[in-house]
Amino acid sequence: MLLARALRAAAAAALRPPPRHPPRRLLSSSSPRALLPPPGAAPPLARSLWQLGGGWRTALLRPRRGSAGGVSCGCGGLHTEGDKAFAQFLTDEIKEEKKIQKHKSLPKVSGGWELEVHGTEAKLVRKIAGEKITVTFNINNSIPPSAEDETQEEQKPDEQEPDLTSTPNFVVEVIKDDTKQTLVLDCHYPEDEVGHEGEEESDIFTIREVSFQPTGESDWKDTNYTLNTDSLDWALYDHLMDFLADRGVDNTFADELIELSTALEHQEYIKFLEDLKSFVKCQ
Amino acid sequence: MSVVLRNAQRVVSVRRAPLRRAVCALRAALGASRFDVGLVCAGNGLMRRLNGAYRQRPEPTDVLSFPFHRVVAGELPRPSCRDEYNLGDIFLGVEYIHQQCRATGEDFDSVLAVTAAHGLCHLLGYQHRTEGEWQQMYQKEVEILEELNRLTGASLRPLTAGLF
Repeated sequence: MLLARALRAAAAAALRPPPRHPPRRLLSSSSPRALLPPPGAAPPLARSLWQLGGGWRTALLRPRRGSAGGVSCGCGGLHTEGDKAFAQFLTDEIKEEKKIQKHKSLPKVSGGWELEVHGTEAKLVRKIAGEKITVTFNINNSIPPSAEDETQEEQKPDEQEPDLTSTPNFVVEVIKDDTKQTLVLDCHYPEDEVGHEGEEESDIFTIREVSFQPTGESDWKDTNYTLNTDSLDWALYDHLMDFLADRGVDNTFADELIELSTALEHQEYIKFLEDLKSFVKCQ
Repeated sequence: MSVVLRNAQRVVSVRRAPLRRAVCALRAALGASRFDVGLVCAGNGLMRRLNGAYRQRPEPTDVLSFPFHRVVAGELPRPSCRDEYNLGDIFLGVEYIHQQCRATGEDFDSVLAVTAAHGLCHLLGYQHRTEGEWQQMYQKEVEILEELNRLTGASLRPLTAGLF
């Protein structure tokens, strides 16, 4: 790889078109003496090439004005055949993704939750009887690696690919009006450990960690005790799950959160493709 | 030892802590506290699939028990190693039970506990295929539910009451 890069750099140096801007400092008279050619020496090959006025080779990187396939945007950016093909690919990809988009607008979560979205982070907020419950999640890296790779050979060509589902970790914060402490519960969707049959027999979501944090402070206080549920008494765990269920964070909520997260992730993915297309085509 | 509880459905609200308490008390009444038991709260879909796969009856039901050991009713398993301290798994058809309770007006949590008692007895070899088997199982259910009633103040009766 390193050798290939060096070869490409050398080739590019030979092909470089005449600079449109004043020559760089390296070629000026104030350059260190060692970089200047000795007096009377023949000019280097690269310079003689561009002194011929560009020649035919410049067309690979920048087509001459008026030639077929010329770019008249005048942005000054690089426009290669590869970029053109990439932009066309993205156009098709965006079209296909919009076609299979399940939700054109984000689905609601039942139970009176208000939704706030900031880029890839979403927050659901609910107030009940002197308590404020917030559920925060981020759709980045929320699609687990699927088992479809193992069955790809068995899949028929005309079969649709399985839907991608976003199962983000989510953090539940419970703030009681009369206390300065927030109870924070870090929740996860179980990973596919035993295949699809095992998934049907497991909890929809699990609590991984529980901690108290000062209300209103954005910095995590890592000197506060964090309970890890890996080795937790089962009865205590069940009480925590019932506690969450009483506040609307139950299996139904967890299911609806998957729908919301999947829709948001798809939406952000399409937006990213559109931004990428604009960037590649013309900034 | 452990009661491993999983709620694998989203149709019915299930209170985990009281269900665990009930199952632990029933297991103790059976003299089987040293044994692990698995409890899965399942919806109609899963119960239909399991019922079809293992009993050739592809329809939802209230409880399915999968014993770890094959034992004679009234005897406890004799494990030969730590891994064998396992009674098996009970699948509670909570959606089916909830539908039944809505039809009959019975209390869902009570019927859930009674159904769990029935499932535990199956794990320990009790059956109700004949009148004789049913009588033996019924007596055991009465015994362990009376212990649970004593602890909780409830008045639970066996699932198989009036079967024969």
